[in-house]
Amino acid sequence: MTAATPLLAIHGLSKVFGDIPVVDRVDLTVTQGEIVMIIGPSGAGKSTLLRCVNRIEIPTTGEIVVDGTNMAGEKRNGHLVPDKPAATARKRRHIGMVFQRFNLFAHLSALDNVAIGPRRVLGMKLADARALAAEQLNRVRMSEHSAKRPAQLSGGQQQRVAIARAMAMKPVLMLFDEPTSALDPELVGEVLEVIRALAQDGMTMLVVTHEMQFAREVGTRILLMDSGRVLEDATPATFFTHPTHPRSREFLRRIHVPVPGC
Amino acid sequence: MPDFDWGVIWYAAPYMLQGAVVTLEISICALIVGTVVGIVCGLISVSDMAIPKAVVRAYVYFVRGTPALVQIFLVYFALPRFGLEFSPFWSAVIALAFNSGGFISEIVRAGLQSIEAGQTEAALSIGMTNRQSILFILLPQSLRRITPPLTNEVITLVKSSSLLSVISITELTRSAQVIIAERFTPFELYAELAVYYLVIISVLAWFSEFVEKKLA
Repeated sequence: MTAATPLLAIHGLSKVFGDIPVVDRVDLTVTQGEIVMIIGPSGAGKSTLLRCVNRIEIPTTGEIVVDGTNMAGEKRNGHLVPDKPAATARKRRHIGMVFQRFNLFAHLSALDNVAIGPRRVLGMKLADARALAAEQLNRVRMSEHSAKRPAQLSGGQQQRVAIARAMAMKPVLMLFDEPTSALDPELVGEVLEVIRALAQDGMTMLVVTHEMQFAREVGTRILLMDSGRVLEDATPATFFTHPTHPRSREFLRRIHVPVPGC
Repeated sequence: MPDFDWGVIWYAAPYMLQGAVVTLEISICALIVGTVVGIVCGLISVSDMAIPKAVVRAYVYFVRGTPALVQIFLVYFALPRFGLEFSPFWSAVIALAFNSGGFISEIVRAGLQSIEAGQTEAALSIGMTNRQSILFILLPQSLRRITPPLTNEVITLVKSSSLLSVISITELTRSAQVIIAERFTPFELYAELAVYYLVIISVLAWFSEFVEKKLA
């Protein structure tokens, strides 16, 4: 895919709760292979932006196109015909999402957490779905825990299974919503390691994170959001050394990242 | 203790055992039908189907708002007017299933809604439809949570079956009343009746605990 056909194109996206615009007129274009790190203070609208991409949250206004597919419906004669729920579900299949609180299916083993998507959504045979799931669990180094229920796993282990669950659907885009924020500090590394490996394999991803070191090392692009707006959109090198927006400078100062010239 | 007629206790026991069998037959049939109705209605209540949802709401509203006794009379006397003739046994099953179905529907709805929103979000994120997420994710997880309130409903159902004596079904309560009319020993026989119900319901409660542990 070339830069001319973006994997993700967001135009004029807003999400209003009550009369508060949590996401406010955001435009964003992401090409394949980009790793976009979204940072900013809490309440900035980072998670809501992410949740609008796969329509877990319905945008108030704006357009989201993933891999050439308009997430809201089909354009006919210049008019948007909204999707039925089943069509929305179909469009979500190939957008993986990883949640802050893992959200593993509590009644299923690690293996079946990963297998249930291929089995029920893609209609694979149970044995094939489980084989695929075993392969994905192996990628996140969770094979030895495949029979365990989520409650028997540590937070880091649960999150790795959650990543495998999303990957089993062969996504074209992965959304990470603060994947390490609910983890004990000593478990953060193992999850970041898995995300880093996906990045190296060329997976396109949007990652909402507070891990600045990780954002800097793994990201190909940094977005700083505040009050629903994207204030800065730069490469990590530029962002962490020469942030242009005053809010970026303030944010970096507040999280103790030394900013040259401050 | 006043003169307690043990003789009538032994005399009544086999008759009442027959009544107990009828009570159990009706209760089990009503429970099966009522559970199916209740689960279907409960699933509809959390779905996004507007018209079936409204129908379920009206049904639950009616069941909760009218006494079981009135519902039994309605089924027994009103259905034949619409050309639906059933034997007393099946009228009884329909009436109790109709009643328990409404309550089980609410139990199932509450159970499904008690599962964290994150489970649904995760299900949707891998491309499940709303229906698939209810069926494959929410329902299995809510089974254990709904077992205790469901047990209560089963117990209520068994007790409500005593109301069926009014449509001349010789279930447990009526079998006792028949002998009371014959022997004039209400104290002994109502005491015996209470013991019968206690035994039946103890077995049910024990079974429910067993199921709850199995689902853990």
